[in-house]
Amino acid sequence: MELGGIVLLTVAIATAATALILVPSIALAWALSRRGWRGRSWVEALVTLPLVLPPTAIGFALLFLFGRNGPLGRPLFDWLGIEVAFSRLGAVLACAVVALPLLVRSARSALEEVDPALVGVARTLGRGKLAAFVEVELPLAWRGISAGVVLAFARALGEFGATILIAGNIPGRTQTLALALFQRVQVGRDGEALALAGVACLLALATSLLATRLVDRRERRLER
Amino acid sequence: MNVGDRGSLGKGRLEMDLRLDQGGFRLAVRADVGDSAAVLGPSGAGKTTLLEALAGLRPSRGRVRVGELLLQDTANGIWLPPERRRLGYVPQHGALFPHRSVRQNLLFGALERRWRRGGAVPEEWAELVDMLDLEQLLERYPRHLSGGEQRRVALGRALLARPRLLLLDEPTAGLDPLSARRALASVLALRRRLAVPILVVTHRREEALALAAEVVLLEGGSVRASGPARPVLADPAFLTQTAAAQGRWENVARGVVERQDEAGGVTEVNLQGGGLASVLIPYHPDLRPGDSIFLAIDAEDLLLATREPRALSARNAVAGRLDELIEAGPSIYARVGPWLVHLTPAAVAALALAPGCAVWLVGKTHSWRVVAG
Repeated sequence: MELGGIVLLTVAIATAATALILVPSIALAWALSRRGWRGRSWVEALVTLPLVLPPTAIGFALLFLFGRNGPLGRPLFDWLGIEVAFSRLGAVLACAVVALPLLVRSARSALEEVDPALVGVARTLGRGKLAAFVEVELPLAWRGISAGVVLAFARALGEFGATILIAGNIPGRTQTLALALFQRVQVGRDGEALALAGVACLLALATSLLATRLVDRRERRLER
Repeated sequence: MNVGDRGSLGKGRLEMDLRLDQGGFRLAVRADVGDSAAVLGPSGAGKTTLLEALAGLRPSRGRVRVGELLLQDTANGIWLPPERRRLGYVPQHGALFPHRSVRQNLLFGALERRWRRGGAVPEEWAELVDMLDLEQLLERYPRHLSGGEQRRVALGRALLARPRLLLLDEPTAGLDPLSARRALASVLALRRRLAVPILVVTHRREEALALAAEVVLLEGGSVRASGPARPVLADPAFLTQTAAAQGRWENVARGVVERQDEAGGVTEVNLQGGGLASVLIPYHPDLRPGDSIFLAIDAEDLLLATREPRALSARNAVAGRLDELIEAGPSIYARVGPWLVHLTPAAVAALALAPGCAVWLVGKTHSWRVVAG
């Protein structure tokens, strides 16, 4: 049954993309939440770029960089045998780039909310910078970070423009829900398109319900 | 117990020669204080910035030495990060970790040592929990604690990390008068029992007088005066400066509660020293006869008469002798023993006041406040 395969592939790609950006995004968010280092505004602008660019432009840029003859694609293929363009890896990469700003922005504002005095006290109580981050900032920013993870995952689930350019629309390999829906509409199979749209709706609903549950349970533990 | 065994300054002192510059604010502090000192100054003087710089939380240039240990000497490339300074920093409002219980907060600094591996609680645990009255709070979370309780937990947390020096930032800021009194009492008891060196930052004279033997007066980022607390705080220059900055001057005295008169709406307090033998203050249901307290009355709220006042609603009139007249800009402070009375030059002229003349001090019952004890 091809519908099941499409859903599975979509979820797998979105999960992989979210996992790929989790740690780098939190690191970026932490750096951006500190003031007074050179180049901060440039990094911030670069991180925001995927949010404001048309996804097709991102997809095209990725295709240029990671295509078989691209400046990154060629060495990856020649040395490691890794093919990014028109592969699942390409789809993951596209989703990751598009979802990154959402995670970074949520995590950053959550980290900025943490009272710097708490970090200061943790330092005077014997914690280095990293330990203070892991033991104080991260747990306190957890809610905002997990909201960002859900947002990023949901964005990756629905990714279309960048994916179709770098990964194509190959059934069974890179054809995710959004791409499959587009293809069915193009060839006039409206019934299947409707079914896919319904599934997309359910998937999105399930994601946000699960997220709310997780956050609530954690909150309740803290409320005691 | 001796929490201070490794923390004591011993014969050493806290020496600082610090400079920092940020966003146009300059702090330059050179001072040398012993094991109970207060940094006093108006808000914006740089007091908190100084504490943060000492704790290593703000970059600064210069030298800091605690006892034998050099914490920083930037001219020679020495800079210990905060986690290696072992200073017990207690910020304003305590800064408890909201995601950890009181017990976990208390053990946060102690964890680094034996607690993590051995599983035994630090030896001073029981005594500190008892002294700070934390037993009932251990499983609670900070959000469910009152301001005073949070402050006590923060103190305990800092002490369990066995600091070389305790840095207290405004230990009573934001507390209601009753909690403020309890907070000061906790700090006094800890200093007495644990012999931990303390540097306290405050903008309240009575806190400095109660907690510290030495003071550093900070103003606009630099040291205005420093030395033994009482002489420095009695300096006319400090008087006029503080009065100008705060718009008032607070007389502070120690006293003992004599009796409660609920029907009459007053509490009688015997003052220790200073001519005024006893005063009537507004009825305080929480006080008990025998309690030792700090009282305050503004210099603006004390009246001065050259004849014994009669048929007056004010209940507290006591005879004394005018010691001196201190000029402070457009106003004049008359000193009667330890009491300062704020007067206008016109009043001084009309009453023909001069040092040595007999006067009566009058203070309305409702002008007296209980500030600490």
